[in-house]
Amino acid sequence: MAKGEVVINEILCKGCELCIVFCPQSCITLSQGKINPEGYLLPVISEPEKCNACGICGQMCPDMAISVYRLKESKTT
Amino acid sequence: MTKKEITKEVVCEPPRTRLQSIPIMNCPGCHYGIIIRMICEVIEELGIEDRTIGLGGGGCTGFWTMYFDLDMYGGVHGPGLAIATAIKRVHPDSIVFAAQGDGEMGAIGLGYFMAATLRGEKITTIFLNNACFGTTGGQMAPTTLLGMRTTTTTQGRDPKITGFPFHGAELAASMKGTAYSARMSVHTPANRQKAKKALKTAFEKQIAGVGFSIVEFLSACPVNWHLGPKECLDFIENQMIAEYPLGEFKNVDYIEHLSDG
Repeated sequence: MAKGEVVINEILCKGCELCIVFCPQSCITLSQGKINPEGYLLPVISEPEKCNACGICGQMCPDMAISVYRLKESKTT
Repeated sequence: MTKKEITKEVVCEPPRTRLQSIPIMNCPGCHYGIIIRMICEVIEELGIEDRTIGLGGGGCTGFWTMYFDLDMYGGVHGPGLAIATAIKRVHPDSIVFAAQGDGEMGAIGLGYFMAATLRGEKITTIFLNNACFGTTGGQMAPTTLLGMRTTTTTQGRDPKITGFPFHGAELAASMKGTAYSARMSVHTPANRQKAKKALKTAFEKQIAGVGFSIVEFLSACPVNWHLGPKECLDFIENQMIAEYPLGEFKNVDYIEHLSDG
């Protein structure tokens, strides 16, 4: 199971690729032809299982378009 | 029977002092957004959002009045620190921060900046150094590097004609009224952490009433440097830091005749 979940707000994203540069696990890549209403090429989470929820992509996003959540699995009876 | 439940813990979400209805209007790859986020985080961590008054400037910092869910004031190009002084003196309990671009504080507003440091006004200045006049099309600013091409120095900046680059943080550190002066960068995650710590210290100096505090940020301007966002990071690492070294230049806890308490 993936440790983290990255949610990109596609309306705010300007496709500057800084999240792709800074992701230490190289989970994020630029999409092939997926654009937002403003016309910017969007990044996609290409390898979500590698994400360890460090939050660097969210902190370094100049448009505050990325939210990061840490996923925890708990067993309940 | 055992059930598996997945719980979500927030690591990183847009800060609550940032007005979500207004998108960041800077160019793609501009570092201003990272710095805006950092200011929001610091204000929330210090718990001063109900008494903080921010001041936008001219140029790209003019938009800053719309980004924050705080009391914001729109300054004019240049005398931002004079306006911040007035706000602080009328509302002594408030926490005032002024966003100042390099063209603004190094050229037209240099006198106001020098006067504010000499008086030791208890305000926090966020000085954004992107080595050009960003909004108006990338003309030479006082902080433009030697040999750097801009629309007004097409052959590269020549010190014989246009002088040498302006070092705001060192200048403020040489003044008696300054409590804290640092130059930081946000071009790597590690530098961002250091910059956040410096910004927090600057706000703490103001809260403690020590004196004037300033943090200079090296910031990328991809459109006017004619570089991509990735190349801008290399440019800051290799060329800007060579001219503008990072670090703290002054950090004092008490200034005689000036500090509170």
